[in-house]
Parts: sequence; C-alpha cells; structure tokens
Amino acid sequence: MHPKKPMLSVSRHGLRVLFANILAIYRRELQSYFTAPFYYVIAGVFWLLSGLFFLVVMTTIISQVAQQDLLQQQFGAPSQAIDVPKLILESFLGLLGSISQVILPMLSMGLYTEERKHGTLELLATSPITNWCVATGKLLAVLTFYTTLLLPVIIYQFVALQQSTPPLSPWLILAGNGGLILLAAAILSLGMFLSSLTDSTILAAILGFAVLLVLWVLDVLAKNTGGNLSDILSYLSPLEHFTHLTRGIFRSSSLVVFGSYIFLGIFLTAQSIDAFRYQRN
Amino acid sequence: MIQVEHLTKVYGTTVALRDVSFSAASGEILGLLGPNGAGKTTTMRILAGYLPATSGTAAIAGYEVHTDPMAVRQRIGYLPENPPLYTEMTVAGYLHFVARIKGVSAGDRPQRVEYALKSCGLWDQQQTIIRKLSKGYRQRVGIAQAIVHDPPAIILDEPTVGLDPRQIIEVRNLIKNLAGQHTVILSTHILAEVSMTCDRAVIINKGEVAGIGQLDELLQRLSSSYTYDLELVGDRSQIESLLQHLPHLQQMTWDSSTVQQRQQLRVSSPVEIGADLASLLVQNGVQLFEMRRSRANLEEVFLKLTTDEPVAEPSDAPEEAHA
Repeated sequence: MHPKKPMLSVSRHGLRVLFANILAIYRRELQSYFTAPFYYVIAGVFWLLSGLFFLVVMTTIISQVAQQDLLQQQFGAPSQAIDVPKLILESFLGLLGSISQVILPMLSMGLYTEERKHGTLELLATSPITNWCVATGKLLAVLTFYTTLLLPVIIYQFVALQQSTPPLSPWLILAGNGGLILLAAAILSLGMFLSSLTDSTILAAILGFAVLLVLWVLDVLAKNTGGNLSDILSYLSPLEHFTHLTRGIFRSSSLVVFGSYIFLGIFLTAQSIDAFRYQRN
Repeated sequence: MIQVEHLTKVYGTTVALRDVSFSAASGEILGLLGPNGAGKTTTMRILAGYLPATSGTAAIAGYEVHTDPMAVRQRIGYLPENPPLYTEMTVAGYLHFVARIKGVSAGDRPQRVEYALKSCGLWDQQQTIIRKLSKGYRQRVGIAQAIVHDPPAIILDEPTVGLDPRQIIEVRNLIKNLAGQHTVILSTHILAEVSMTCDRAVIINKGEVAGIGQLDELLQRLSSSYTYDLELVGDRSQIESLLQHLPHLQQMTWDSSTVQQRQQLRVSSPVEIGADLASLLVQNGVQLFEMRRSRANLEEVFLKLTTDEPVAEPSDAPEEAHA
C-alpha cells in the first residue's frame, strides 16, 4: 500500500516478513514429515542401525582393550594408555556418519520434487516470498528432522560414555555430534539443490548419492596425495572436517567450509528455481 | 487494474503469444476465451509473475510484473491450471499456510480463512485432509486459496474444468460474487462460461487476440450473417426464381426432410431481409407456415474466430458472402 517508506522501517519490516516466511515454510514442511509413513520408516531404520552399531563398537573395543591388557599383564610389557571412551566415540561417530550418508539423500530427495509434481511450486513462486526463504525454510526443517533422529542417539552416547573413569568430556561428544549435524546440513543443502533440478524423486536421490561419492573421492584423494594439493583437498573435503571434529579437533575453518557448502546449496537452489520458470512447463 | 500491453512470449522457436494487449477495469470480470493451446495459460502465468514475457508489459494495480514482482505477488490471487495443493494438509491448515505466505497478519488470518472457507462452501470440510476430497472440492480449495488474502486481482485458470454441472454453477456464482470488490480474470475454452460470468471477453487464438469486448457486442460485430429458417409449401423452382430478386441474398439451401409435405428452406444474408422475404413469398402465393430468424450463435462466432481463416474485420465482413 505504501511503496515509499523510510529505508530503515522498510528493512526492519522486511526482516520480520523474511523470518515469518521462513517460519511458515519451516512449519509446513515439518508438519508434512509427521504425516508421511516414509519418514517413520527412515527414523526406525536409523535408530535400529545406530543402536546396533553402538553396541557392536562398544563391546568390540572394550573386549579388544581388555585382551590387550591381559597380554600386557602376562608378559609384563609396559602398559599403553588408551582412552577407551574417546576411541568408542570416534569409531561410533564414523559409523554414524556412514549411516547418515545413506539416509540423507533420501531425506533431501523430495524437498522440491514433490512441490514440482504437485504444482505447489507455482503457488510458492507467485506468493510474496523469495526463493531464498523457501530454500532456507526447507533446509532448516529437514535438518530439524535429522537432528531429532540424532537426539536419542546423542543421549545414549552421554549416558554410556560418562560412565567411564575419568568420564569423557561432554564437549567431545557435543563437538563430534555437532560435526555430524554440520556435515548433514551441508549434504542436505546440496541434496536440496539436486532435488530442485528434477521432478523425479528417484533421480534426485541418485544424484544425491553421486554427490556423496564425489565428496568421498575428494576425501580419499586428500588422504593419498601429497603436498599442496592434499592440503587444498583436505581443506575442501567436508568429510575430512567431520573426522577432525569427531577427534575433538575444532578449527574455525571447519565452520567456514560447512557454512560455504550450506550457502552454496541454498544459493544454487534459489537460482535453479528461478531458472526453472524460463523453461517450458 | 490489469493492463497488458504488447505481450509476446517465445519458447525456443515457438511463438506462444504475439503482441497481446488488453485491460480489465477495477471490479470487472474479464474472460480469456480460446481453444486449448491458444496461449491462455501462458498469459495467466505471465500476469501472475510465474513466467517472464519475452517482450511487452503487464501491470497489476500499477505494478509491472517484471520490474516489481513482489508488489504484484502481494496483490494477486492465482489459481493455476492444476490447483496447487499440499494434499497431506487439512483444508483449514492449508488455507492458514497460504494466508501466512501471502502476508496476511496473524490477527486477520482466522477471519480471512473463515471467509474463504464459507464463500467456497468448504466450511464443513475444513478439517478434512485434502487428499480425501473429490476433484470438485479440491478445485474449490484452489479458489479459496486464491481469495484468502483478499487480493485486488484474482487470476483463475480454467476454474470450472473437471467439475460436475452443479459444481460449475456454484463456482460461477462464487466468481460472480467476487466481482465488484475484486477484479477477476478467468480463462476458459467454454463459451457459455464467458457469457454467464464475464462482463467482457478477450478471445485468444494461436497466441493472438482475435477480439475484445462485451460478448453480445462481439457477437454482433463478428456474426456476419442472418439466417432464416422457413417452412413453406410451393413450387421449388418458382420460389428459387422469386428469391433471386432479393438484392442481399447470400445462400439458399433446401432441407431434404419434409414435414407434412412442407418444405424446409434456409436462407442467409449479410443484412436483415426478413420483411422483404416474407412479403415477397406471401404476395406470390407461397404458403408460409413458419419463419424463424437465427443469428450466428456464440459457438459459431467462436469457431469462426478460431478457425484457420483470417479473422474478418467488421468492415469487410460481407466478403464472407462469396464463400
């Protein structure tokens, strides 16, 4: 109604609208997870596998360490200090990362393909809401879902690993799981972009796995090449940064790299939705 | 309210719209009429800011769709060809969501949703999951979605397609009720729809405007001939030679079927010749039982406008006489 307003009030009002829009998309998206059986299946599989792996990792490592201890006692070799809970956490988070990499493309595959299939993208594109808001709201929603999956797993990590003497630092658990969430955010963001390219959910999932493969190859190359190239590749590899975080090594560059991947995904999504309208139907 | 000027849309090498111009006044219902594939949906999508035009401008409430897209989006309600529904939501939940992203303030939302539910006859279905609704009800939810934020301009792409006759009447009444406070532009390939709901119509064919105006006016201008159906008894050849004297006679056809020995004759002319025709026949002893004048009806005008022959301007309409 009033197109010309003082800059400040416009931007303040604009900011409020921006948040309200992101929130609207976020809530709708989250709501849709609760009504779809697919997401319950994903949650079930995730919890089953992660619980199983936790049990296996813990018993394997503890029995291995106990065996080693026994050997050392028998032969009188100098005993080596091993931080058992830290080792368990590190191995478990590595496995959790692998399970997540299977599940994440399945979470991101429907983000835009469903909108395109049902024509609701046309509603969003003709509403006073920017592509950025839509993409951000969607990413936050799917990330919330993933974090919800992770929550009970984090709790039993705390419960189990705090039992050791001395107890494992809670920061290690938080850093490792925080790294997992950041990694998930980066992968989901790229997956969201891929889902905006097509209206085939299956294709979006396949593309998602292909991107994971690329990230994995990047990681392998980073570990197996030498010199500057290795440094550059390991800096770019989100998996590498995740591994650091599971070991409790926190670098601000990790935040920058994860943030860049997340931003890249949202940016490309917004661009591709804009470009989509230039196509015929 | 809605101003479309010289819109052209090219997809690759196909021209979907060529130099389309029209306008709709505030509170008016404008029908966009044309056969399937004429460019109606493209026009609507450009108006809604969903598709960019290759050239030309379209403005809604003074805001141009390409340069001021957000201002336009705030002022339109748009029902695409397929209603954009989140089928896992309830009707009310969906409308609340749409109201939210359309920028309706939290305080006004319950009222606006209630209004949309009631005016689309969805009050009893508000807690129903959209997936479980029939096609007609889904279409209504689509319309409710377009009016929930009380936009000054409402764009409806084929709003009655796929509905049963009773639902069609309901939707038409709903659209008529929207006029006055809202400017409505709707597309259809059904002529009766325009004649029943719209104040004015734009006829689009193959991406070009074939005619704009009030329907009866369009009809008058575009129907180039008057047709008379006669039922009479008399000598065929005598009648034929008699009618040759009429100056504007265009065509004369005998119907093979005869009812009670009476012959059926159809005569057409670019001007009204009814009085002359009747007196000529009666004065010459032909028994005239029935004479009925019929103007080209809407369907005929529409077909004429949208078939391959070049559209006849009012001034050169009589050219058709040689056909």
